Amino acid sequence: MTPPTPSAAAPLEVTEESSEKSITSPSPKANESRSPGQLAWRRFKRDRTGVISAYIVIFFFTIAVAAPLIAKLYGKNPYDQYGQDAPIGTLLNDAGYPIKPNGGIDANFWFGIEPAMGRDVFTFLLYGIRTSLMIATITTVLVTVLGVIVGVSAGYLGGKTDYLVSRVIDIVLSFPSTLFFIAFTPVVYGLFWAADEEIPAWGRGVCLVVLLTAFGWASIARLLRGQVLALREREFVEAAKVTGASPGRIIFKELLPNLWTPILIQSTLALPAFVTAEAGLAFLGVGIQDPTPDWGVMIQRGAQYYTDDITFMIFPGVSMIIFVLAFNLLGDSVRDALDPKSKR
Amino acid sequence: MSFSRRNFLIATGVAAGASTVLSACSSGDAGGSSSKTPSVEKGKAAEIAVGTATDSKGPAPEMPGARKGGTIYTLDQIDFDHLDPAQIYSSYTGAGSVLFLRGLTGYRVDSKGNTTLVGDLATDAGTVKDGGKTWSFTLKDGIKWEDGKAVTIDDVRHTFERLFADFVTEGPRYPQNWLEGADKYKGPYDGKHLSSIETDGNTVTFRLKEAHADFPFMLAMRGYSIVPKAKDTKKKYDQRPFSCGPYKIESRSIDKSLTLVRNENWDASLDPCRNGYPDKIVMQFGFQGLASTDRYIADSGNDQYALSLLNEVASERITKVLGDATLKQRVLTQVDTTCYYFPINMTRIKDVKVRQAINWAWPAQQLKQQRGGSQVTATATTIISPLTPGHEDFDLYGKKTKPTGDPEKAKALLKEAGKEGQKLVIAFQQSDKAVKEAVTIKNALTKAGFDVVTKQVDKTTFYSEIGQLDNGFDLFAAGWGPDWPAGYAVIQPCWDGSQIADGGVNWSQLNDTSVNKAIAAATTITDADKANAAWGAIDKQIMTLAACVPDYNPIRNYFYGSKVGGVVYNAGDTCVAIGKVFAKA
Repeated sequence: MTPPTPSAAAPLEVTEESSEKSITSPSPKANESRSPGQLAWRRFKRDRTGVISAYIVIFFFTIAVAAPLIAKLYGKNPYDQYGQDAPIGTLLNDAGYPIKPNGGIDANFWFGIEPAMGRDVFTFLLYGIRTSLMIATITTVLVTVLGVIVGVSAGYLGGKTDYLVSRVIDIVLSFPSTLFFIAFTPVVYGLFWAADEEIPAWGRGVCLVVLLTAFGWASIARLLRGQVLALREREFVEAAKVTGASPGRIIFKELLPNLWTPILIQSTLALPAFVTAEAGLAFLGVGIQDPTPDWGVMIQRGAQYYTDDITFMIFPGVSMIIFVLAFNLLGDSVRDALDPKSKR
Repeated sequence: MSFSRRNFLIATGVAAGASTVLSACSSGDAGGSSSKTPSVEKGKAAEIAVGTATDSKGPAPEMPGARKGGTIYTLDQIDFDHLDPAQIYSSYTGAGSVLFLRGLTGYRVDSKGNTTLVGDLATDAGTVKDGGKTWSFTLKDGIKWEDGKAVTIDDVRHTFERLFADFVTEGPRYPQNWLEGADKYKGPYDGKHLSSIETDGNTVTFRLKEAHADFPFMLAMRGYSIVPKAKDTKKKYDQRPFSCGPYKIESRSIDKSLTLVRNENWDASLDPCRNGYPDKIVMQFGFQGLASTDRYIADSGNDQYALSLLNEVASERITKVLGDATLKQRVLTQVDTTCYYFPINMTRIKDVKVRQAINWAWPAQQLKQQRGGSQVTATATTIISPLTPGHEDFDLYGKKTKPTGDPEKAKALLKEAGKEGQKLVIAFQQSDKAVKEAVTIKNALTKAGFDVVTKQVDKTTFYSEIGQLDNGFDLFAAGWGPDWPAGYAVIQPCWDGSQIADGGVNWSQLNDTSVNKAIAAATTITDADKANAAWGAIDKQIMTLAACVPDYNPIRNYFYGSKVGGVVYNAGDTCVAIGKVFAKA
């Protein structure tokens, strides 16, 4: 794919156009076409949905990274059980529900108090977003990188490599991964930590990322392999081969730029999927455990309490919806910006 | 913008929905209806009289409005761990198996819940001689097994002799400890009989080493249900026991369901304990407390004919259910004599100061709030529950004065013992409730200067794992309900040094000579008041040694469907009397 060159009329009107352009934008001289990247950036900036989504996603990642700082300024942490430590009837009632309306929202607890456990919802949500995004992002990056490498190579090299890799992908995809996690995680923990040692949160996180990656790369790899099989017969690949380009150069300079669309779509769908996957696993006792805050577990607990305290579910639930929506729309807009032909 | 009728309906629908949501948000929750909940402190100790021969005759007291027929369902978390009576100790398994297991004695419950100990297969609750050392029972005539053969006195003797076989590892061990000559007996399978069990015609006589006034109560436990000698498949009996009750097992799918159908050879006029109204009973397993509670609230389809033996109203729905008049009608609320406590492994935590520090630091109020508050729990400060005879009220570790715990005192004690930073390995069941409790307990104990490590253990194997002597845990959740309403039944099985064994229930492995002596002495006291005082003193002694952390006494809220009738509580078996329910039309 090569982006269209700027209109041929431009170079004829050199003096006025170039002076105008040099005032309006710090771009190269008018008769130089913009690089594909800059054109994509311009297209993206014009897409309002994409820009708003980008701001939202950046916002989420910022608060995730800055969570400890925000919590420090706010004055609370997600681990102390404020509601329980206060005398009965001040913050939580006898049955463990927040006394003040709206789930206990007041000047001290901006988003209210968690029922039963009495923790501060605002910081718990911040840290939960932080945990879940961290795990999901690392997993998505690893899965994408691994899937791209394996899939593209298998598709391009063909022959025995392709055959072997495809069989491996088949096996990985057909494995009952959840059961494997449940059975295998205690074994992994037992290998590295003694029976009377507490398993640290980072240990659980690493184990989870490794296991999720081990099962997650296969679908991207398969998808990309299929795309590459279609692409490698095209003339521009043949031309590159004929002119003596190495397989590496062909993969990186010719094939990959055409594969951004499926890669982007897959990874923007994968990240929220990993957030929910690790929440489900936390509930089964594998992966992140209380007291480490987790976004998905918060929503699941909210579902238990929604009949009496719906506020507790609204905050993590609505923020999750906004994030997933924004992330998907962002992925859409980036794809449109990079590959405008596919929009029409 | 045109405002068509369709848009209008949508808009008002959304507005209505939003306002409902907003009202749910904005209504605060100042507190549940705590005024009407039963209180453990104000309850009466259970009084279960011993019935006469007339009481022991069948049929069982009728339930008003009862009709025969229909199917009753149950919804519970787990399957029964054992079906062989000799291996049954869990009160949940006892509650369900009353439908197909019968013993020499049992509990007769009337329509108001008054419970009497009567003869079930026996003609009465036993004849006593030698001041309580010899007990005789006569078998009723005409009782048949599910295959039509008669229940004989040989079956009765065989039932007690097989308790000594080597495959019987679970189950209560009272006969093994009480019968004369029991130490040398190895079971009936090599042809030898136990001399202290004598049979004469239709009568069986038990000779005990010491006097036990509670012997007939002990026989009413599900663990002493009669096993047919001809059908004793030994280890396999655990999967398919033989019935002489109103129902027999039709099919079983482990961890999923157990289906019972009518036993045509059961004669209602010879059974004072069970009514046998429904034609079929389908027991379903694998339903967590929240799931079953929501099903009862929805009350649709077969759930209208369902009840639970183990599952109670989930703590997340307690306020909603008990606050709604129509739902509350379908809840059986009952104070339970069980005491849930955390035994401290005394082979690992040897210093009494450390154990006392754990007691001081305990977050009693926080745990109570988490579980649902006063509607479902009462903080326990003693091992014997306030409803059991023998209870003495004391609070050695400030649970009532400092309900949120006293971490400073605990820290001071640890410093005295030189054990600051003491590591504690606490085992928890793998369930959402237990995970949350683990967090609360860890927070409180860490504040007090302990180094807490929490270990999740799979729910189905939890009790087997903590029953091992070398389980590697310092603290874990356990509980005990007395097998019959007496101090002996609370203290002796769990705190007597002789009960330490793999699979035993002396979880803290307490083996204190003065406690053992006191237990032996209190067992022989025949005067009720003197005995109660003695047991109360032993309770205090054990708590001074801080062998456990008493956690709470539960208030049980059993939910049932709208078409289930005749739901009463059996105070002897401490469970819902499923043998008396009927399916409404």
